[in-house]
Amino acid sequence: MADLKYAFRMLVKAPAFASIAILTLALGIGANTAIFSLIHDLFLRGLPFKDSSRIVRIYGEAKERDLKQLPFSVPKFWHYRDGQTVFSSIAADWGNGYILTGLGEPAQVLGENVTANYFDLLGIHPILGRNFLQQEEMRDDVGLVTENFWRKRLGSDPGVIGRSIALNGVATTIIGVLPDLPISWFGRDTEIFIVKPFENANATRDRLMRGYSFMRCIGRLKPGITMQQAQSTMPALEQSYRAQHPETADCTWTSVLVSATEDVTGDLRPAFVTLLIAVGAVLMIACSNVANLLLVRFSGRRREIALRMALGANRRNVVRLFVLESASVSVIAGIIGLCLALWIVDLVPKIAGDNVPLEGGIRLHWAVLVFTLLLSLLTGLAMGCYPAWQSSRADLIEGLKESNRTMSASRGQHRFRRGLVSAQVALSMVLLAAAAMLASSFVRLSNQETGFRSDHVWAAGIGLPAGRYPDPASRARFAQRLVEEVQASPGVEVAATVDAVPLSGNYSQTPYARTDGNPLPVNQRPLGLTRSISPGYFRALRIPLLAGREFTERDGADGPLVVILSSSTAKRLFPNENPLGKQLLFGVDNGNGLVAEVVGVVGDVRSRELAKTNDVEFYRPWPQRSVSFFNVIVRTSMNPEAAAPMVRAALDRIDKEMPILQPNTLDTIVAQSLGQRRLTMGLLGAFAGVALLLAVVGIYGAVAYTVEQRTAEIGVRMALGAQVKDVLRLVVRQGMDPVLIGLGFGLVAIFGTGRFLTAQLYQISPHNPMLLALTATGLAIAALLACLIPARRATSIDPIQALRSE
Amino acid sequence: MFYVLRDIDLDIAAGDFVSVMGPSGAGKSTLLHILGMHDHGWTGEYFFDETAVHLLKAKERATLRNEQVGFVFQQYHLLDDLTVYENLDIPLSYRHYSKSERAALVADALDRFQIVGKKDLYPRQLSGGQQQLVGVARAIIASPKLLLADEPTGNLHSSQGEEIMELFRRLNEEGVTIVQVTHSEKNASYGKRIIQLRDGWIV
Repeated sequence: MADLKYAFRMLVKAPAFASIAILTLALGIGANTAIFSLIHDLFLRGLPFKDSSRIVRIYGEAKERDLKQLPFSVPKFWHYRDGQTVFSSIAADWGNGYILTGLGEPAQVLGENVTANYFDLLGIHPILGRNFLQQEEMRDDVGLVTENFWRKRLGSDPGVIGRSIALNGVATTIIGVLPDLPISWFGRDTEIFIVKPFENANATRDRLMRGYSFMRCIGRLKPGITMQQAQSTMPALEQSYRAQHPETADCTWTSVLVSATEDVTGDLRPAFVTLLIAVGAVLMIACSNVANLLLVRFSGRRREIALRMALGANRRNVVRLFVLESASVSVIAGIIGLCLALWIVDLVPKIAGDNVPLEGGIRLHWAVLVFTLLLSLLTGLAMGCYPAWQSSRADLIEGLKESNRTMSASRGQHRFRRGLVSAQVALSMVLLAAAAMLASSFVRLSNQETGFRSDHVWAAGIGLPAGRYPDPASRARFAQRLVEEVQASPGVEVAATVDAVPLSGNYSQTPYARTDGNPLPVNQRPLGLTRSISPGYFRALRIPLLAGREFTERDGADGPLVVILSSSTAKRLFPNENPLGKQLLFGVDNGNGLVAEVVGVVGDVRSRELAKTNDVEFYRPWPQRSVSFFNVIVRTSMNPEAAAPMVRAALDRIDKEMPILQPNTLDTIVAQSLGQRRLTMGLLGAFAGVALLLAVVGIYGAVAYTVEQRTAEIGVRMALGAQVKDVLRLVVRQGMDPVLIGLGFGLVAIFGTGRFLTAQLYQISPHNPMLLALTATGLAIAALLACLIPARRATSIDPIQALRSE
Repeated sequence: MFYVLRDIDLDIAAGDFVSVMGPSGAGKSTLLHILGMHDHGWTGEYFFDETAVHLLKAKERATLRNEQVGFVFQQYHLLDDLTVYENLDIPLSYRHYSKSERAALVADALDRFQIVGKKDLYPRQLSGGQQQLVGVARAIIASPKLLLADEPTGNLHSSQGEEIMELFRRLNEEGVTIVQVTHSEKNASYGKRIIQLRDGWIV
């Protein structure tokens, strides 16, 4: 206790040292705590479901056609539900939108159609009311709402159970209020659940039973059954499904189990591994900086050490005293770092947009606190031990004779300090290079030609309730009228509709085949991205028409089926042929798909991911392939957001109870599609900046200390005729030697660790010589500047004064 | 080969008060550090009471030193960042005393040396004489049999020096064996005998 008190007293006595050391470490600990907190939230904490490690997602997969993470069809779900033996229960859901009326303004709310056992399987219990009953499935118009919905839209009505709300015009009785749900699993803004999982307004019953896949399937493993054991039972289910439903589109798919946690975080792992390595490096740089400071500080206290030993202390006592001092620094730094981490964690969802499933708001879990405490103590030990041990080796008698005169450091200490500088430079080199690569990738992606123009375009979703718009014809009439109304508004250049906006993350795929030759059976055909659009879509997005024609009003529900291909699709499906007039089979209708004629070819569009070209993309006329949800797209000659009131007014003229969903500019949608990359680049860039700052401070500190140690020597040299340039060369060379060694090690490390980055880079190699050269040069210049300041000071040493001080 | 001390053959009886004198570089301080078991770069035999110091391992030597020897330094060597009370407590903290025993011993020392009023002051707030008083109090707080003093009055003016030497005399009368290094004939006269050193030899 006395030692601890003394340690704090020594820190207070040296505020400059304490401030620099604490701030340096706080940056390192704060960065690590922030990333650990995010990792804890995303990967470690698990989903807030009962025994979530036993919940798995079941996907379809067709490797030979490069199809992964495919959803379930109704017949397949029923087959698996009834035939499986490894799950205690199996459930399904699919995302849906509902128009809520009767509670003020009509509103579009997001929700899911789920099987009755869905929430029982997850172990989620309502805070009011009850879960669905099996006998209600596909029969009763009952619903569950989230706590957020209950509070905001129902005014926390205590009598909510039994209350009726209108969803898509259907009176639905609320039977329970669910606690707010994790967005990583349910997505943002999901508020309503109904128990009609096996009907879908976008598909007829015939299409549903032919293997139209739209449901997400989950299972809870029986006690004692491992994931591998469950996976091994899938082939038998696949075979029996194939035998009993040979005509379905999904009968050839294999089934793959993925743990629930991995399912929601799989894409994020590489980015967070990179960030974890980055913050680890920042902490190591911070530690080495503070270790260097401690070494200097402890070395300056040899008299005290000698005296303590003369009074009976042994080396262990001395080491303990100094380690306590370094641990005090690190624990204070840990507290500041924790505050810094909270700030970073709060900032992350804002940087990441909707692409990282993080809940908003500051949260502090005990695991994060324990992590920070352990990290702080470990840091204190790691950086304090060597300096303390080195300093405790002081010669007792020499130390007592020393009085307060500073003594030169030992060769071992010199080597240690130079080693620390080299390590800092090497780590900084790796981090800066990685940040430069990611930044370069991000710039390339941001400048990537999307194939369409997103400026001055506004988009919003509109859901058509099946009750009022039950068939393609009614949906087509609504969409056409809306486009005409909006088109007539002042400032609107083009209005159009599309089922899914490019780069919004929404898309649909359809089995396709050429009609000539021997088309494969439906269930063996590849899937191609398919968008349903209205005439004007290509003009609205400035997608060039390369051949043939655009869709017109004549391409209606009753007209001949037509399709427009992207340029890549035309080259792939009709190499060395004119695709116009050729025919393709689409979908699963009639068991063989419907024939559509190619009427046009348009430019390629990066519609799924900015980083990837689409091999195949089809466009179909909205009336011929309409679903209950579409987006209206408006190109204006003014601020695109001005389109919102025009569309609202147009909707009011057509159907007052039609809300607008997720309005946004297309520029924003494109920018949000880079959310995760922006997050990784932003964080890594910030960490690399911190690393550079710390490394420069470290180099400066080491060189400044050397100059102080060599003051007399420099004085002698100057007395003997050394010129300013000679002194500069002497100091800079000594300072830059470990820097150059560090740069060499850094380059080697980049070649060793580049593979971690490859997956996150775009059109750039992790070993790009130009960027590596620029990074190394930039770092060397920064280091040179750090050396020059103390070197300049060395040139102003007065030889006589220096010799006298000796 | 350079020798600091040569052929030292010396018996110091319990209760003795020896003054070691000689010019600078004669080896006085080295002799003191050998007696105090700080310096072990020597050959020969050294018996402390019945214990053969020359046969002890470093750890055993440290234990013996902690139990039997106290030091007073010319520069006082108080720890600047500890109060008078804490400076007195330091040697005890490195020995096997309980907290209450330590508190009692420090209180005794403060009382005995009449520095109770200064217990919360830092060394820089004390005069040289007061600092050396604390230095002596610290040296004997663990009741050593042997007190070694390296020019204990070297940095003090004469009246303060006399006070310290009177204190040494009283301690010696109480049974503490004292070996002091001094340049002062007057201070040496407080001892019962004087050893002269020249170039590492006893003369």
